[in-house]
Amino acid sequence: MKLSKLLTLAVTILLSYQLTFADAAEGEQLYKANCTACHAINEKVVGPALKDVHKRRESAWLLKWIKNSQKLIASGDPVAVQVYKENNESPMLAFENLTDAQITSIVDYIKKESETPAAPVVASTAGTTPSPTDGNTNGTGFYSNGTYYALIVMSLVLAIIVFVLFRIRKVVDSLYEQKYPEAVAAEKAQEVSWKDNKLSFRYKLFKKHPVVGTIVVSLLFMVIFGLLGFDYGNKEIGVQKGYAPTQPINYSHELHAGTYKINCLYCHSGADKSKQATIPSASTCMNCHMHVQAKKEDGKVSPEIQKIYNAVGWDSEKRMYDPSKPKTPIKWVRIHNLPDHAYFNHAQHVKIGKVECQACHGPIETMKVVSQQKSLQMGWCINCHREANVDVANNDYYEKLHANLKIEGQTSITVAQNGGLECGKCHY
Amino acid sequence: MENKNQYWRGLEELNNDPKFLAGKKHEFAEGIPLEDVFTEEDGDLTSNRRDFLKYFGFGISAVALAACNKTPVKNAIPYIVKPENITPGIPNWYASTCNACAANCSIIVKTREGRPIKIEGNAESPVFKGGVCGTGHGSILGLYDNERLRKPRIKGADANWDAIDKEVIAALGSSKNVALITGTVNSPSTKKAIAALVAKYPQVKHISYEPFSYGAIAKASKESFGKEVIPGYRFDLAKVIVSFGADFLGTWISPVEFTKQWAKNRSAEDKAMSRHIQIESYLSVTGSNADVRYPIKPSAETAYLISLYNKVAALAGAPALGSLPAVELPVNGIENTAKELWANKGQSIVVSGSNSIGAQVIVNAINSLLGNIGTTVDLANYSNQHYSDDAQFASFVNDLSSGATDGVIFYNVNPVYSYSEGAKLAEAIKKAKLSISSGSNLDETASVCMFNTPDSHYLESWNDNEPKAGYFTFTQPTISTVFETRQMQDSMLKWAGVSSNYYDFMLNNWSTTLSGDSWTKALHDGFYQGPVSHVAVSFNSEATKGIEAGAYELYTNSTKKLELKLYTKIGVGAGEGAHNPWLQEMPDPISKVSWDNYAAISHATAKELSIKDGDKININFKNGKIESVPVLVQPGQPNNVIALAVGYGRTAGGKTGLNVGVNAYTATIFSTTQSHMQNDVKVEKADGKYELAHTQTHHTIEGRAIIKEASLGEYIKDSKAGNHDHHKSLKENGNLITLWSEKDSKGHKWTMAIDLNKCTGCGSCVVSCNAENNVPVVGRKEVLNRREMHWIRIDRYYRFHNKDNNFITKEDDYNNEATGVDFENVSVTFQPVMCQQCGHAPCETVCPVLATVHSSEGLNHMAYNRCVGTRYCANNCPYKVRRFNWFKYRDNDQFDFNFNHDLGRMVINPDVTVRSRGVMEKCSFCVQRIQAGKLKAKLENRTIVDGDIKTACQQSCPADAIIFGDINDEKSKVREHFKKDRAYFVLEEYNIQPAVAYMTKIRNVNETLVHEKGHGAAKHEAKPEEHKPEEKHAEHHS
Repeated sequence: MKLSKLLTLAVTILLSYQLTFADAAEGEQLYKANCTACHAINEKVVGPALKDVHKRRESAWLLKWIKNSQKLIASGDPVAVQVYKENNESPMLAFENLTDAQITSIVDYIKKESETPAAPVVASTAGTTPSPTDGNTNGTGFYSNGTYYALIVMSLVLAIIVFVLFRIRKVVDSLYEQKYPEAVAAEKAQEVSWKDNKLSFRYKLFKKHPVVGTIVVSLLFMVIFGLLGFDYGNKEIGVQKGYAPTQPINYSHELHAGTYKINCLYCHSGADKSKQATIPSASTCMNCHMHVQAKKEDGKVSPEIQKIYNAVGWDSEKRMYDPSKPKTPIKWVRIHNLPDHAYFNHAQHVKIGKVECQACHGPIETMKVVSQQKSLQMGWCINCHREANVDVANNDYYEKLHANLKIEGQTSITVAQNGGLECGKCHY
Repeated sequence: MENKNQYWRGLEELNNDPKFLAGKKHEFAEGIPLEDVFTEEDGDLTSNRRDFLKYFGFGISAVALAACNKTPVKNAIPYIVKPENITPGIPNWYASTCNACAANCSIIVKTREGRPIKIEGNAESPVFKGGVCGTGHGSILGLYDNERLRKPRIKGADANWDAIDKEVIAALGSSKNVALITGTVNSPSTKKAIAALVAKYPQVKHISYEPFSYGAIAKASKESFGKEVIPGYRFDLAKVIVSFGADFLGTWISPVEFTKQWAKNRSAEDKAMSRHIQIESYLSVTGSNADVRYPIKPSAETAYLISLYNKVAALAGAPALGSLPAVELPVNGIENTAKELWANKGQSIVVSGSNSIGAQVIVNAINSLLGNIGTTVDLANYSNQHYSDDAQFASFVNDLSSGATDGVIFYNVNPVYSYSEGAKLAEAIKKAKLSISSGSNLDETASVCMFNTPDSHYLESWNDNEPKAGYFTFTQPTISTVFETRQMQDSMLKWAGVSSNYYDFMLNNWSTTLSGDSWTKALHDGFYQGPVSHVAVSFNSEATKGIEAGAYELYTNSTKKLELKLYTKIGVGAGEGAHNPWLQEMPDPISKVSWDNYAAISHATAKELSIKDGDKININFKNGKIESVPVLVQPGQPNNVIALAVGYGRTAGGKTGLNVGVNAYTATIFSTTQSHMQNDVKVEKADGKYELAHTQTHHTIEGRAIIKEASLGEYIKDSKAGNHDHHKSLKENGNLITLWSEKDSKGHKWTMAIDLNKCTGCGSCVVSCNAENNVPVVGRKEVLNRREMHWIRIDRYYRFHNKDNNFITKEDDYNNEATGVDFENVSVTFQPVMCQQCGHAPCETVCPVLATVHSSEGLNHMAYNRCVGTRYCANNCPYKVRRFNWFKYRDNDQFDFNFNHDLGRMVINPDVTVRSRGVMEKCSFCVQRIQAGKLKAKLENRTIVDGDIKTACQQSCPADAIIFGDINDEKSKVREHFKKDRAYFVLEEYNIQPAVAYMTKIRNVNETLVHEKGHGAAKHEAKPEEHKPEEKHAEHHS
């Protein structure tokens, strides 16, 4: 009776909480994906601070402005022209791909944020950059804050239920013992030790066949330590699957590639044209981080982003490069190391072979700290070369080649059939 | 068919030299060097059980300790601000100018991640057409020379530029006479910078000095035509080329340009091959490629030239020069040459390598008689590639010694080493009030100078050059200065008080002709062709007066005397390549000796003086002597002439060239011009023996028919001349036994064709391959052990005649006094040999670990990491092209060359594995370039076009003798070559199906002349048989 009441209450609270912020949750995602490069709630970045924007402007005006601000300015809207002038005439990008409902949800989110002046877990600008050492306690952007609170409440409710059930069982047991003491005693007497049980596995192994037992145990040890040793040896020769070194900057692929969905090629611009995918230069980071500073409560720049500023000599106060500051390159730690005698070309695989980055690097968009997911051993390469088909149809280079290599009854050729297993294709 | 042919790898083979015979029985020069290992440690060979246990125990613990290490952390450090046009992994190419010598070839420089790693010819250049010589390829190592001066110095102590500038400006102001000694300066902006310095300090006098001078040519032009320039020679327009000792395919003035021109008329298929007659006093690269060659004594050259003039004049109806008796070569050589020249009036050329003004005036007179002026000898498009005022330099040395000149600035010249009286000059420099050297290394001159103002390497500098009149070529930096060096032009501007830097100065100079886009385009192209003024010139016959008497006297006086001829070698050149390990290790094209110079003497003279190969001699001449020169008995060397290369015997500047060979510059004579000979020398045997490191006798191929040649006459009659064996075996091919299953290349099949007609043996490909494929340098000792690592070698074969003009075919003939061997008259053939990428490769069969396997594209792949070093493959390779890494050649003080320090390793090509000890390696057909070419085509969504992929050797070849491509491509040049009747394969009778076809060599010899009889196809060759014209050759080849 008591229990069902409690449960109903919890579910009701949860649902109502979720419903209230459903729009805002969608809005938050959209806001972070589209707006944070130039806007923050409580401060001016490139664009103005957005706190209470729903109070300042009408929602119809906001719709027009967000969809295409330049059009609105050109139409001579006085408010638009004024806003444009106030912000150094730097134009806001057009977002014609957003639906009215989506824009409304963004505004709802801003409305909600404006009303919660000091939300303890949200950094005041966009781009919350949780550092991996801080643990996972903060909202990481996958969940809205509402969901997060709801989950806490739900967990509490469940914990209470578990406690109540445990209590109930205890009470029932003691009541049973009081009522039928003989039956309980008989049950206890029937239980036998494994040593006397002639059918038990452990008895057979150690009591009856001690030699077999020893062999099995030592085999077990050998397998365990052998595997450990093999793994160690692999690492020694450069096979370092799972290698996840600490980087000089706690950069999160989960945030950049996962949450913000920044295209891999934006930073790793060599991947489709060069041998190296290339690690972006610090100047590439600055394209965004010139604006995105992730200020914390005390008004200071995020310490991780400050590391970029230190590298390039950027003065975050004056918002300009300071030539007097020394420039120091960032020494990233290489995770994917191929031995020198293996030639690997990113362009061949990314552009020509159309292999997804994740095929070799794993689900990179979910990694806070990047780790090596594949062994990068030759067998692993070869397996893919055996299975992958050459995209002959879409490249004139293969056109004639394919005609010559065509195999009866097959519509395509694999990399292996094109010579992809030959030593000199990668070792020279 | 007689098995023995007529080609000899050297005198050792002909002579049945016991050492040679012993060597050819074994694959390796010596057994496994266990003794070395033990003697170094223990002092003797007695190693015992305890030693074994010690080593064993140490080994185990070392391995255990090593295993405790964690995998090293590798950093990836991106740019802070990425330059827009640099993507790591993609090379950037910059057009520039080679400054390794004053020929100033247009080049392109490959840079990877901001460091230059390879030099290649600029194919768009109308003058140089994409060739680069070995010295040019090697010059990149100068940038990464660990012994470069890293800072400016004052009196031997490191200084900064401000201090230097202050002191130099003060000293310049207070000195009364200052000489600025430079090499050839053909840069208009540098000339202006020098002019600015002279304007500020009028006491500065500019003198051009070349260590090995051809200054007489320009002086003779002034006397003959009133224009002090070296004419622009056009060997491509000449049907008859007569060269008196001018090594124009090797080292003379502009060898790359001339080789391109010469090779143009050496296609046998055109049937109008040029005829090349060489009259010279040592066997040069040019002489070895000539159709006819006459050995003469160096002092007799002018007399022969006058004789030739008189014969031509007789044909032209012009008066003869003087009335002295005619000087004639054996079998009327001069008269026949004159007839041929006259028959090709206006389409012939006569050149001379002499540095005597008289000789060069006669050359001008002959060319003028023949109507060659304005056609093959072009005074409008003249050359600025060499200028030297020897007389002025000699008087400068005297002035400096006497104190009349109290200051001297050396701009990249090293006369303390290269001047005949270097020691005297060094003393004088020490006395001078001001002495500056801009040498990049602390060479002989720099070490006695007060100020060292190290010049930047040309790959770090800006410059413009005008190698040919109106043809400008630009130098742009491909890397910022590695050390605190400053290019000399900047220094001169600074001292002259000009505020702008040299780049702005140069830009300003060009502003009227090139600016904005046109300037950018000129820099991008690397060159700019300006207008050329054509001025009519006429020969001044007064100039020839008074030459003949002296020349005849010299000729008659010297007939019995022993003479010394100095020459420059390809590679080390006049001394600029002495510190370059690539160039030192590149074997001399003729003698195949690396890491040394030597006294080349003829067989007869050696016998007369009772000296032989391996002896050492002292050469005594008036006012000096050269001691302990190793002797090389050289076929083709004229009797009673010793030939000795300059550029060796360095005593400072860098350890690579230190004490390698002897300094021959002491034998030069400076009067009006520098003389390259001594006409009365005495020789005495010196103590001790010395073994020269020559590569030709390594990898002996048991005298099988691997060279094929025919005369042009024979070829015109029958296009299969000289190559009937191949066409016969084609028919019989089906009956040949094969041990291998047939392989089929359906996609690409990479093949190579080499035209023996064009290959001059210059060795550019060898150095280019070194740079492209990270080939290590092993040093003299290891070359002696037959362990050189070159992936491509150029074999040189001799054919000897006996006195009856028949070819020597048996060893016994060597000592047969009755018939005798005419050692002066030798015919030379070059054959570049690299991995032949056999279709049925014998090496693949014997590899126990499948480290070398065949690819679907016809390549013979070599997987280094699979190789366990059994060396079975090298043993089973019939071409002996596999190389074994006996040692770790990097980071090893035993091999202290460019791979032994970080700076030198900057030149490593990142796309090619650096091989480790104990693995086999060989030519890969530049597989990294093939892969890159294929990828480029894929990225551009197109098929590969013939010429997209060029191997390093092909790209560098100044003679275009190497053609590479996909034989399955119907339009490819290589397929065209494979179909030629001249095409044959080396050792094709084994049916191992090599992928490299050689084109039969065709010599343009005149069979009607007794002297040249029998130069044609080998006599043993099978009789021509009937051929079905519809034979499909390509099918067999592919």
